[in-house]
Amino acid sequence: MSHRHSIFCILPPHMLDQVAQNGSNAQREMAARTLSTSSQIRDRRVNVASAVIRGAFTAAGTSQRTVYDAKFGTKLPGTVARKEGDTPIADVAVNEAYDGSGATRDLYSVAFGRNSIDNNGMNLNSTVHYDKGYDNAFWDGQQMVYGDGDEDLPPAERLFNRFTISLDVIGHELTHGVTQFEANLVYRNQQGALNEAISDIFGSLVKQYQRGQTAADADWIIGEGLFTTNVNGVGIRSMKAPGTAYNDPVLGKDPQPAHMKDYVTTSQDNGGVHINSGIVNHAFYLSAIEIGGYAWEKAGQIWYKTLTDKLTSNSNFQNAADLTFQTAGEIFGVDSLEQLAIKNGWTGVGITVNGTTPVPPPSGDGCLKGLLHSLGLAR
Amino acid sequence: MMRIVFERTGGFMGRKVSLSIDLADLPPDQAGTLKQLVDESNFFKLTELPPKTPLPDGFMYSITVETETTQRTIHASDTNFPQTLRPLLENLLARARVR
Ligand SMILES: [Zn+2]
Repeated sequence: MSHRHSIFCILPPHMLDQVAQNGSNAQREMAARTLSTSSQIRDRRVNVASAVIRGAFTAAGTSQRTVYDAKFGTKLPGTVARKEGDTPIADVAVNEAYDGSGATRDLYSVAFGRNSIDNNGMNLNSTVHYDKGYDNAFWDGQQMVYGDGDEDLPPAERLFNRFTISLDVIGHELTHGVTQFEANLVYRNQQGALNEAISDIFGSLVKQYQRGQTAADADWIIGEGLFTTNVNGVGIRSMKAPGTAYNDPVLGKDPQPAHMKDYVTTSQDNGGVHINSGIVNHAFYLSAIEIGGYAWEKAGQIWYKTLTDKLTSNSNFQNAADLTFQTAGEIFGVDSLEQLAIKNGWTGVGITVNGTTPVPPPSGDGCLKGLLHSLGLAR
Repeated sequence: MMRIVFERTGGFMGRKVSLSIDLADLPPDQAGTLKQLVDESNFFKLTELPPKTPLPDGFMYSITVETETTQRTIHASDTNFPQTLRPLLENLLARARVR
């Protein structure tokens, strides 16, 4: 599983000493463990692998999962069905919510060094079996909520399966939490569509990471498995080909545009946040394909840093384009293949990147900064 | 006379589900049930809900009831939906959801 080790670098011991002195309990533990290992290494340098960091982040006192059961009612959170460390129970939705939030936490931890939703070990709460016939999942500002689709209808009439069935839906909902703690993008119009796209992007990366798929291998479908066999469709959205995910006599056709020329102006759905997100989704897809390899390693890294360090609540598509371009220059260098791929991705959806403002070349401390960031000691 | 207009927008899929019913067009038992659900929900006297920031992927509901003498629209989300309105919502959703 070499793809898991995306944060892998060599760190001088004095830096670990600093972490050991100034970090949180979990961080200190991790640094101490690494330091004791390092004393056995002759050149006094330490390999800090993601597994070690992950170990620190899942230590006691950090993010704990709890899955609640609403028992087809609407009261949140409901009754506890499974807690962190409990073995699977005889309820597939509960186990999917548990495993899916764990997989999402893993991607954020290993690929981006983020400690849960708030980067401070926030507990992950999910409620399943919400309401009757509830074809939906949402983030209520504090927790994830999942319905069972059309469980109340006869099988021949059902269009939707339970919403925990799709790992990228779980990653999508948790990412709304991450966005809330970072850019806090307004959930309306372009800002809202950008918010939606960020959830689709990282939701898809969770799935790709879990499957060990490269950008070229991934299906880039959001909500695969949500439709029953009564529906003509592969999922809710396609990042690869927005507008093609479904075309069904009952549900209609996937309304997503893949280009600014088809941007939809509407008052519904907070200004079409689930429609116009297709444009940003597709820009990400184009960049990730051009860069190649595992999408979370480079395209994902660029977007993560942009989300956490640069975007603000009012950022629109153009801002996202300019800022991802700038970030790519900072991480991979001006005129790097990665920066060009970001630019081309946006060009492919009809957005011209502005701002060729020279940025300093990446300094040699990228590894150190990455580790400190991952430990929550630097941003 | 009673007319009901129902809309559900937003959600993970962003798909709108809507319905407009004139009770006069329904079989009497169904019209009776709907009228009763409207009455029991205290529709015209419900306190106005405070506006909420939208929940990511949450549904937004709007129910309009119109009679000879009055008309009212209530907007609500998943988490501030009035309990007394839920039976009416269930009835409307059963009609609107799969068509
Ligand atoms: Zn969403």
